[in-house]
Amino acid sequence: MSARDAILSRLKSTAPGPIEAEAAALLTAPERPAVDESALEAEFLARLALPSVNASHDVIAAMADLPAAIARYLEGQGEHLTLYLPPDPRLATCDWTGFTLHESAAPDEAATLAIARKGIAETGSLVFETSPQAPMLPNFLTLHHIVLLAVKDIAPYLEDAPLPGVQPRAHYWVTGVSGTTDIEGSYVRGAHGPRFLHVILLRD
Amino acid sequence: MTRNVALFVTCLVDVMRPRIGFAAIRALEAAGCDVVVPQGQTCCGQPALNSGDRDHAAALAKQTIEALEPYEAIVVPSGSCAGTIRCHYPEIFEHDAAWLPRAQAVAGKTWEVMAYLDQVCGWKPEGVTVDAKATYHDSCSGLRELGIKAQPRRLLKNIDGLTFAPLQGEETCCGFGGTFCVKYPAISNAIVGEKADAIDATGADLLLAGDLGCLMNMAGKLNRKGSKVRAFHAIELIAGMGDGPAIGEEA
Amino acid sequence: MSSFTAKADTATFKERTDAALADRILKVAVERTAGTAETKRGIAVAAFPDFDAARDRAAAIKDHVVAHLGHYLEMFEANAVAAGAKVHWASTADEACKIVIDLCKAANAKSVARSKSMLGEEIGLPHALAEAGIGRVETDLAEHIIQLADERPSHIIWPAMHKTREQVSALFKAKHRSPHEEETIAAMAESARRQLRGEMLGADVGISGANFLIAYTGAICTVTNEGNAELSLVPPRVHIVTAGIEKIVPSMPHAVHMLRMLARSATGAALTQYTTFYTGPKRPGDRDGPEEMHIVLVDNGRTKMREEGLAEMLRCIRCGACMNHCVVFRQIGGHAYGGTYPGPMGSVLTPVFDGLPQSRDLAHACTLNGKCQEVCPVRIPLPTLLKGWREKSWREGLEPTSMRVGLGVWAWVASRPALYRFGTGIAVRAMRLLGRKGWIDRLPLAGGWTQYRDMPRPAAQTFMAQYNKERRK
Repeated sequence: MSARDAILSRLKSTAPGPIEAEAAALLTAPERPAVDESALEAEFLARLALPSVNASHDVIAAMADLPAAIARYLEGQGEHLTLYLPPDPRLATCDWTGFTLHESAAPDEAATLAIARKGIAETGSLVFETSPQAPMLPNFLTLHHIVLLAVKDIAPYLEDAPLPGVQPRAHYWVTGVSGTTDIEGSYVRGAHGPRFLHVILLRD
Repeated sequence: MTRNVALFVTCLVDVMRPRIGFAAIRALEAAGCDVVVPQGQTCCGQPALNSGDRDHAAALAKQTIEALEPYEAIVVPSGSCAGTIRCHYPEIFEHDAAWLPRAQAVAGKTWEVMAYLDQVCGWKPEGVTVDAKATYHDSCSGLRELGIKAQPRRLLKNIDGLTFAPLQGEETCCGFGGTFCVKYPAISNAIVGEKADAIDATGADLLLAGDLGCLMNMAGKLNRKGSKVRAFHAIELIAGMGDGPAIGEEA
Repeated sequence: MSSFTAKADTATFKERTDAALADRILKVAVERTAGTAETKRGIAVAAFPDFDAARDRAAAIKDHVVAHLGHYLEMFEANAVAAGAKVHWASTADEACKIVIDLCKAANAKSVARSKSMLGEEIGLPHALAEAGIGRVETDLAEHIIQLADERPSHIIWPAMHKTREQVSALFKAKHRSPHEEETIAAMAESARRQLRGEMLGADVGISGANFLIAYTGAICTVTNEGNAELSLVPPRVHIVTAGIEKIVPSMPHAVHMLRMLARSATGAALTQYTTFYTGPKRPGDRDGPEEMHIVLVDNGRTKMREEGLAEMLRCIRCGACMNHCVVFRQIGGHAYGGTYPGPMGSVLTPVFDGLPQSRDLAHACTLNGKCQEVCPVRIPLPTLLKGWREKSWREGLEPTSMRVGLGVWAWVASRPALYRFGTGIAVRAMRLLGRKGWIDRLPLAGGWTQYRDMPRPAAQTFMAQYNKERRK
């Protein structure tokens, strides 16, 4: 008998009943942190500022303002205007004069831009999926993780994060920077990946 | 209305510190109860149960159930022993159709003494004075199996002159654990050593708790390290017997 | 289990605990991390609306899954395969390791990047990789420290909890290519970052565990704060997942509930920094991701646990709260337990993997104070399960003769109230002879007590003797 058959033969359901309905019933009115749904932006920003998330943020009125906002941030950090840009057509409309743009991320890339599909007010999380326009690795190699998020894409709860239907290769939530407490419980930022997370809110 | 209650003394109080049993009787009588001490009782069987010896645990549980079932309520000066009867007797007889209802009936009317005085009798001590600063340790079984937390504090609050110093880690186990403390003495010692330090750090004169096992463990460690803190079962103070010898003091 | 754990297994439990108790540095290290975790969890739970109801729901979700485990595993398999992953099944630890090694060999792997997984430790994967001559890069910082020190994890969330900064510093200076110069924890972490970055990106295979398997989508979920899982799993050509079969949840919203419980219980955070759901290998047009994804579903005693009274243990989501709050763990640390998993959950699990005769001490080395159950996010009745092992040990005659005889005689006497009164009367008189000024400092048969603390001298007569005498008056 294969291991598969050996395992499954011992795992017959021990309780009768409509399994799917039972699973759905377990999701009724979940306990979760309260989020003021009439003030999602403020709720999101409050979570973003928590020590565990530790992100900075900026606000822009239009896509055209994005390069200037990034320049402001990088200059404030004492970094060159060097940036990895994902091949997302929404970014092509911006004027990147003055920037050195990377089409692929170097192993020690200093700054990377990514566009979040959603922000989650409950936790200050940024939600991403992989696609031909959105590689994943640059967001983890970089020291400064710069994320563009439209205010209209802020949703209240983590339940709002997943995509319906067919799943992409990776669906991921970023809720802060790469941190570790592995040496004496002492918190260090930038363990392997980003040391800084900067969110640019688009109020278009 | 007089309540007819049976006192389950517990083996430890019977042998090591009878005055806890007499204090329980005194407080219960003051609260208007008629107290009997059933003669068929010895030990609730917890040492056997916690050692994995189910057969002896069941035999002692049957003896205890027979001794206690005629009474309106059973009161115990120990959260640990009361917890065994209330929570674990029904588990022992889970698959015994004859004994399960009897175990459940006794379980349903068994109370830790301070919980009984406070919750059932609605009683509080009157005219008792103890001029001292006390700290309180919440014994684990009483706290987590029976929810005993506020009851002793409500009762003790009515003692004149008694003040309280909070104990850092008041809900942290003292390292007694029944046979644990003699099976793994070095680990137990490390735990009770920290507990004794925390008790000393309160600056209290008295250590109070609701279980003699934990009290003997903590008092024994405090004495070994030369501490001056005196230990009592809380019911002793509540019954107005706080002027007697503390644990380890000669009468 | 493999010789990977042999170093610790040769000593008895008592020898291991004595060594741990004598190690004051260990005590400080454990207290620092577990103490911080306890405080942070307390704050997080207090801020959560109705955490107790959330625990009920979490337990119910896991119980539902465990009751219908076969159904969900088949559903997970079908969805993972539809997304392009290959699913493998392993009944034992050795089978699981063999599958992983064969996959690595087929990929012609010279080095693998591993993202910390307790299941990997449980099945002895680090050792199996070494035996197969495959280079292993541990990418979690703590696991990296453990690998350099050639030790085993001592905690399921903080595997290097037992190491002080001085020890880590010496280790990095001896083993890193360009070690830190400044003696700060930040500089040490930076040294590891420099060392590991290239090794991760150069690995042929990435190996991870899974915190959750999502049945409805076929996704596997990893959570890390370091982001090392993503850096280990995205660049290599092959991604291999080893996961216990109990890791299933039905759907994403079920996973969301469990994630809320996991992070709060483990570190007190609302969520881990990086939470990723991987569904199959890279898609056409994707710029990165592995070409192959393999998921090894591992039983290793879990079906047996389900059949033999340990189904509740299959709720465990490996948060570590039970050990952080355990008075025994806080004194002896993780290594003294001698198994892959330490603390209360480890004491329940280790007899499943290593056998009860080798691990019976674990069930007894517990005060049954109930704190672990009180903090468990899925309400596992850990003390009850430990007592279950004690009963099995008693039934199978594994308890020492002195204990069996002693308890037998005591119970025989205690079942005869008149004889018991007579016996306690003698015992009280005998004990009084040994005491001075209210205390007994040496007591035969209770040397474990009086070695460290005094025993109060009993009163002249038992309660029963005094009470009956007064009543007769």
